[in-house]
Amino acid sequence: MLVDQELVEKARGGDGAAFNDIVLAYRKRIMGTISRLIGRPEDVEDVAQEVFVRLYYSLDQLRTPEVFEPWLYRLTVNASYDYLRRARRRNESRMADLSEQQVVMADSVASGRQEGVERQKGQVRDFVDALFQHVSEEDRLLLTLKEVEGLSLKELEKIYRVKENAIKVRLFRARQRVLKAYNKATVDGNL
Amino acid sequence: MSDDSKLDELFHTYLAACPDVEPSANFMPNLWQRIESRHSFGFVFKNVARTTMAACAALCLLLVFLNFAAPFRDRMAQVPNYTDVLMAEHSAENTDYTEAILEAPPAPQQ
Repeated sequence: MLVDQELVEKARGGDGAAFNDIVLAYRKRIMGTISRLIGRPEDVEDVAQEVFVRLYYSLDQLRTPEVFEPWLYRLTVNASYDYLRRARRRNESRMADLSEQQVVMADSVASGRQEGVERQKGQVRDFVDALFQHVSEEDRLLLTLKEVEGLSLKELEKIYRVKENAIKVRLFRARQRVLKAYNKATVDGNL
Repeated sequence: MSDDSKLDELFHTYLAACPDVEPSANFMPNLWQRIESRHSFGFVFKNVARTTMAACAALCLLLVFLNFAAPFRDRMAQVPNYTDVLMAEHSAENTDYTEAILEAPPAPQQ
């Protein structure tokens, strides 16, 4: 845990300064996770703030400080999922809501002005994003948490409140689908 | 290298390729603003809900009271007092001879 249990207890008791410290300790990690879950950098901060607002109003429901991190991750997954649902409803095209800065960045990539390393990173991101298209949104979130964020099955069990075996089965199936798409892409020469 | 390990390596590369997201300078002020705005909405909503609940509870108590009180009042109203009983017992309809008086043919005159 990035913070003491005592600090969590204080925040639970309504201590604003303690809550502030918790946000400062976790915001970067949570924003990183959100950026990989929703895939839209321009909205990451907004979703992260929503997570911490939800945390503020649900801290009193936290049974013990030991389960604080899974609790925070649960809020993160739920807020990200809510965001993705809203985005799907709005049915926005991916290019339409790119910020000006991103459009400039996309242009620079296209014209080959960006560094080679950055371009390679972008290709990896695009490739993995394309692989994730072969699984449902729920499975993509689960796979990202397990394979990219490196959360353990025990942690996922606490976050999803589902038996470990059920998560294992779901992860295995999702992984198989991604692997199949990966092999196909390798054969087709997309990698 | 097996397919699974290739995929694991790809996920690691992906994690490294994802840019670090830095919070803006306004992150904390905006967060507290959102908390406050939701708090004020929650406060108003909580007050309205509490008042409505109190009114509902009072109405329920009143209805329960009326529910119990009404039959008792009816029973009280139905308890006959002495004069009512006396009147009922000596009313013309209850006398045995009333009908006889009314229906008996007049006595023939000699």
